[in-house]
Amino acid sequence: MSRALRIALPKGRMMDEALRLFEAMGSPVDPAARDSRRLILPSADARFEFLPVKSGDVPVYVESGVADAGVAGQDVLEEAQPDVLRPLDLGFGGCRLCVAAPEGAPYPRIAGGGIPRVATKYVESARRFFAARGTQVELIRISGSVELAPLLGLSDWIVDLVQTGRTLAENGLVVVDDVSSSTARLIVNRASHKLRLDEHQRLIADLASALERGAGS
Amino acid sequence: MPTSLLAQVPPGSLDLLAGDVRRRRHVQREWFALAEAHGYQEVIPPTFEYEEVFTRSAGPELASRLIRFVDRDGRLVALRADFTSAIARVVATRLADAPLPLRLAYAGKVYRQEPEAVGRRREIFQLGAELIGDPSPEADVEALRLVILQMRALGLGEFQINLGDIRFVRPLLNGLPPEQAEALRIAIDRKDRAALAASAREMGAPAAVARALVELPELIGRGEVLARAGALASGPEAEDAIERLRRVDALLADDERRHVVYDLGEIRGLGYYSGIQFEVFVAGVGRAVGYGGRYDGLLALYGADRPAVGFALETDALADLLAVEPS
Repeated sequence: MSRALRIALPKGRMMDEALRLFEAMGSPVDPAARDSRRLILPSADARFEFLPVKSGDVPVYVESGVADAGVAGQDVLEEAQPDVLRPLDLGFGGCRLCVAAPEGAPYPRIAGGGIPRVATKYVESARRFFAARGTQVELIRISGSVELAPLLGLSDWIVDLVQTGRTLAENGLVVVDDVSSSTARLIVNRASHKLRLDEHQRLIADLASALERGAGS
Repeated sequence: MPTSLLAQVPPGSLDLLAGDVRRRRHVQREWFALAEAHGYQEVIPPTFEYEEVFTRSAGPELASRLIRFVDRDGRLVALRADFTSAIARVVATRLADAPLPLRLAYAGKVYRQEPEAVGRRREIFQLGAELIGDPSPEADVEALRLVILQMRALGLGEFQINLGDIRFVRPLLNGLPPEQAEALRIAIDRKDRAALAASAREMGAPAAVARALVELPELIGRGEVLARAGALASGPEAEDAIERLRRVDALLADDERRHVVYDLGEIRGLGYYSGIQFEVFVAGVGRAVGYGGRYDGLLALYGADRPAVGFALETDALADLLAVEPS
């Protein structure tokens, strides 16, 4: 029928793992396109077009229908709350969203009983987490080097992604609470799923069987 | 006010100029010609109403998206967020003694809060119809047929109607503690296979229910899906749903049926619809361009218990799809 299915992928390590999975199901990136700076990468079998975008933008492309499907971390989905289907857990890209505080700092209260200030990129997730705990906090949205915030006195705690914990340790921070854990998900535009059902069902089945065979990990 | 400020409108609102207006008026003219030919009379509910008109019917999702203000006497007023709620109020009050069935049509704007910076408009044009007082499958088909005729009148021959019946999925949530029911509703809504299987395990669901849950995302397709779904039906309510869809299918003409895909795993209309529910899709548009269904319990919330079926189409989306500039 119409064009290939468009798949939005988050640039970086998660995209490499996603592309390995597509390769395992017989749809590698067209080698001619791989090293070019093209914005849309076709698969060699012409079944897909991959759209490398910033990880936080994947839900936007998929919800709007510009991409038919995409790969996004659960952390990104919890933050953006896009109205999309989430048929499959892809298993890779595992990380935890945590509350971290300077070593020895009080938690879940701060000294003096004031309202704790929390710096984070994940404002929505942090808001929901502390609301569910009944803890009143003041959230500060920053976009990078979150670990610096407590050192410089911008905040008491931070909420951030933790993979190995090394960056935290280097900055004298320790994990004091878990917000959520996250792996990569396949997400699908609702209208595209209805209109191109066969192609989406095949995609989901192929990814599921590639995962079962242990590809992509 | 400096002109640089005058040049802006609030996010989510916009000016419609000649071409935009012409396309929308064309969609509306075609609609009212069609509606009148089928015995539907236009009504124009007010632009703003007491907010409870909308909170009563719409549930927390729409209630959180009302655009409200405080009236002179201190009562909360909301801009029209939904025609169906406003018309339900009119039918239950001013038209309470009108002979049934009532056939009402409308076209105009609805106003809803949308999150910032996602590119959604806060005022959109809709058109639609309500058929009140007729519980039959023939009434369901009349609503579907109006959608099909309107799409054809606009020259939009390629579209798809995903048709289900909420009574097929609703029983699966019955009797669950609220938290489990909500987790399961989300899993069904997202077609999240792993979460569906986990929910089935956690519920300790009987094998038949567990199988229905895991198969839900696959229950989409032409007529053969009704047979497959019939075998999975979990009790009398779900069986009624399948039986109703079979009767609707039998009433459709071949050239109508080719637009219909049966879709039993859709749960979006939970809490609003009581029977059939459908969404309309057109290739290249990332969202439904229309939705509708049967809402037999809705009018009772306004004090007049009447069966009803209806739909709304997104006038703006249809206008953008018009291939040829109407004259």
